[in-house]
Amino acid sequence: MEQAVHLDGITKRFPGVVANDDVDLAVEKGTVHALLGENGAGKTTLMNVLYGLYRPTEGRVVVHGEERHFDSPRDAIDEGVGMIHQHFMLVDPMTVAENITLGNEPRKWLGLTVDRTTARQQVVELAERYGFDIDPDARIEDVGVGVQQRVEILKALYRGADVLILDEPTAVLTPQEVEDLFRVLEELTEQGKTIIFITHKLGEAMTAADEITVLREGKNVGTVPADDITREELAEMMVGREVLLDVDRSPTEPGRTVLDVEDLVVEDDRGVRAVDGLSLDVRQGEVLGIAGVDGNGQSELIEAITGLRTPDEGRIEVDDVDRTTDSRRSRIEAGMAYVPEDRQERGLVMEYDLVENGLLGSQHAEEYASNGRIDWERTRGHAEEIIEEYDVRPPDADAEAESLSGGNQQKFVVGREFARDPRLVVASHPTRGVDVGSMEFIHDRLNGLREDGRAVLLVSSNLDEVQSLSDRLAVIYEGEFVDIVDPDAVTEEQLGLLMAGQEPDEVPSIAAAGEVGP
Amino acid sequence: MSGDDPSTDGDSPPDPGDGERATESDGDASASDSRWDAARRRLVRLGQTSVGERVLIALSALVLSMAVGTVIVLVAGVLATCRDPALTIGGSTLCYDPFFVFDRLFLGALGDPFAGGWSPLNNQFAATLRETTILVFTGLSVALAFRAGIFNIGTQGQLVVGALASALAVLWTASLVSGTLALVTLIPVGLLAGALGGGFYGAIPGALKAYADANEVITTIMLNFVATLVTRYLVRNHFADPTSQATQTRTLPDAGQFPAILFDPRTDFSILALLLALAFVGGVYYLLEHTSFGYDLRTAGIQPAAAEYGGVNAPRTVLSSLTLSGALAGVGGALFVMMTLGKFQTGIPSYGFDGITVSILAGNNPIGAVFAAFLFGVLKSGSNVVSFATNVPPQLVGVLRGLIILFVAMPEFFRLIGRRLAAGDPESGTAVTAGGGADD
Repeated sequence: MEQAVHLDGITKRFPGVVANDDVDLAVEKGTVHALLGENGAGKTTLMNVLYGLYRPTEGRVVVHGEERHFDSPRDAIDEGVGMIHQHFMLVDPMTVAENITLGNEPRKWLGLTVDRTTARQQVVELAERYGFDIDPDARIEDVGVGVQQRVEILKALYRGADVLILDEPTAVLTPQEVEDLFRVLEELTEQGKTIIFITHKLGEAMTAADEITVLREGKNVGTVPADDITREELAEMMVGREVLLDVDRSPTEPGRTVLDVEDLVVEDDRGVRAVDGLSLDVRQGEVLGIAGVDGNGQSELIEAITGLRTPDEGRIEVDDVDRTTDSRRSRIEAGMAYVPEDRQERGLVMEYDLVENGLLGSQHAEEYASNGRIDWERTRGHAEEIIEEYDVRPPDADAEAESLSGGNQQKFVVGREFARDPRLVVASHPTRGVDVGSMEFIHDRLNGLREDGRAVLLVSSNLDEVQSLSDRLAVIYEGEFVDIVDPDAVTEEQLGLLMAGQEPDEVPSIAAAGEVGP
Repeated sequence: MSGDDPSTDGDSPPDPGDGERATESDGDASASDSRWDAARRRLVRLGQTSVGERVLIALSALVLSMAVGTVIVLVAGVLATCRDPALTIGGSTLCYDPFFVFDRLFLGALGDPFAGGWSPLNNQFAATLRETTILVFTGLSVALAFRAGIFNIGTQGQLVVGALASALAVLWTASLVSGTLALVTLIPVGLLAGALGGGFYGAIPGALKAYADANEVITTIMLNFVATLVTRYLVRNHFADPTSQATQTRTLPDAGQFPAILFDPRTDFSILALLLALAFVGGVYYLLEHTSFGYDLRTAGIQPAAAEYGGVNAPRTVLSSLTLSGALAGVGGALFVMMTLGKFQTGIPSYGFDGITVSILAGNNPIGAVFAAFLFGVLKSGSNVVSFATNVPPQLVGVLRGLIILFVAMPEFFRLIGRRLAAGDPESGTAVTAGGGADD
């Protein structure tokens, strides 16, 4: 078969860092190729070289059999290489068709105006050819992320791309949208397009790709066909050692109730009831997991509990103290640790170094700031402990948070919050964006907190995660719990139905404070 | 020197030819798209410059502004008519000598350090330091608010209110005490009154922003007018000096004025005031970098969502930082009354507005504010020297001053924008990630 892309001995050095070290990558035409690796393994750098964003220090870029020197993405697109970034670059108030043709619009009146009719027609034809179900007249701001991603793909196709690079395409998608995306990728390869997608998720690489190339520490560890490799083997290639994918959860005896939420009503930013009369309780030594499709009120629920959003009705008690209207700070002081959903927006101050970030939330704690005077020595020690214990890389307390990769940022936030000696841990997507090795570690610590008698409230869109960590699993749909089930007895299909708001028969439902088997 | 300027040789890949090619092969939209991307990359890069690079940029900008200024002075010299031309080049006569102008502007302001018998206690240098002292306070005022993410344009108004409060408090206290007691109480009372007056006047927009979500840029600008007009009304109708035609209060007693130590009393400069200013610089630096309150303030300024997450009470931080900012401006006003004028008089120079530029020039760093204020002080007092020593019209000197400030401040200004862009832009984060995170 013909090779669509051949990267030959690519080395990319940044000052003080070798991001790619003599990497070879050959991608067959008409296949899906997954580029798998831990955070910071050099996947994105390698693709930025192919896309013309970086020039390689050494090595050759061969596209369709010819060596190319791309000075900019523009050059790459001219040769049929398109890239869809993790963060979309679309113009919100414009329509789908306008966004797709933007910059390459068909023109009329001697090129003076945009020929909108033709543009729209072209988009409709393009969407039909690749089997995309998309409304060309919808505005970007009105459509979901899944659709926006398809618009990005169409944009690249419209510009003539036949090699598509997708950077962590599933990071922002719901499980259903992920499935849709994979179908789209299949359709594209059938029509002769070549797909390279960057991921750190084993399952996705195995499901969607024909071949998988694993990068570790900037080097190519190997390229394998997706069909004859196991998850465990892949994980070992990525991490370089054996990885335990399942949490070993020992039974605990839940103690007294730490968090008690009664009939909570929370409105979202638009004034819509996002949490609609929800009650829950979490006891010492147990993990209550919340599963659900993103956007069913999880964020609002968590923000109300942690003090970032004022509930409209209901009551929140921590250790039998009513904290419904307490400030964020007094909740932190009451022993509430919180791993936030958005680490770059909330969990870390991107311009601060890790020493300063280690203080976030503790800046008034007597331990680090007596009489309002910050003890920077102690704070530094604290940050260094987190870095050491959670293997944050690079291990440099003076590094600014924004210079860390997403997974390392997450490790630092998790480390800081778990180190609070909390009564209650609220963890929202605690392993989002981290690699398998770190995921294993974070799961282990979370389980450790549970065995240590802390109460844990866990929200995650990763079903494996909530299922394997939780003692009880609540399924949220449109701001209410559909059911609370035994995570060990429920099947993925049953969960899927519950997440869609349906009550399937014979789900092993358990009462809110019922007996819990490990 | 300009070769070292990172804004011109940033890490952006496109070469000069790239822009053209893009325009030819594609629509304008994407061409401007990629130009914007390139511009943005440069800005982000500018935001990451080191201290050494920034000093180099500032020096290059200074040299460049003088080069442009030279051209302007030469052209103006050709166009103007005068009796005794300063220069003759190739038969044509020029009225002004640019080198002499810049010589006076900078060296004159320092009292000619390269001439024989120079003493740091000379009168012109004193005038420079006098201006510097007050600008340190207004610069600190703007910088403190800026660090909290608040654009305090109202430093001028807070300074005016602080100045009047200080004058009235000193005059009133002086009527109660005398002798040694006056000597030890009047100046502290004046400073305290200035701080309280300015602080109160900063608290108003602070409360409006914190609890009513009113944009502080609008409210502080408006309150500047209010301050000017209300103080004029009060002084004219209630506290006027009966012996003077000017709208001013009575002159403060000597015990209420900063004593001239080392320097000539006629220079209206007191080294004590400068030392006080430096102490405040240290204080503000300590507050920002070593206290919980400073941490709250900075965090709220850089990333409000993270501050909220970290338990920072946003409204209270807004209110207290604007109050403190106003208090700093108020102390500046108190010094203007107790050191420079010896009374309150309407028509206070625009120290507050200059403070905005001082702060930008200093990158909102309290220690940098000392140097930025000093540059401003040099330009202010140097302008007077130029007017004395040459026949260059004051408007032209104003142009030169403006050029220097513009050239030196703009890179800093764009650097701040670059930092904002980098912070709000996950893309640049990804790029850094790809490089920086790869060594694990």
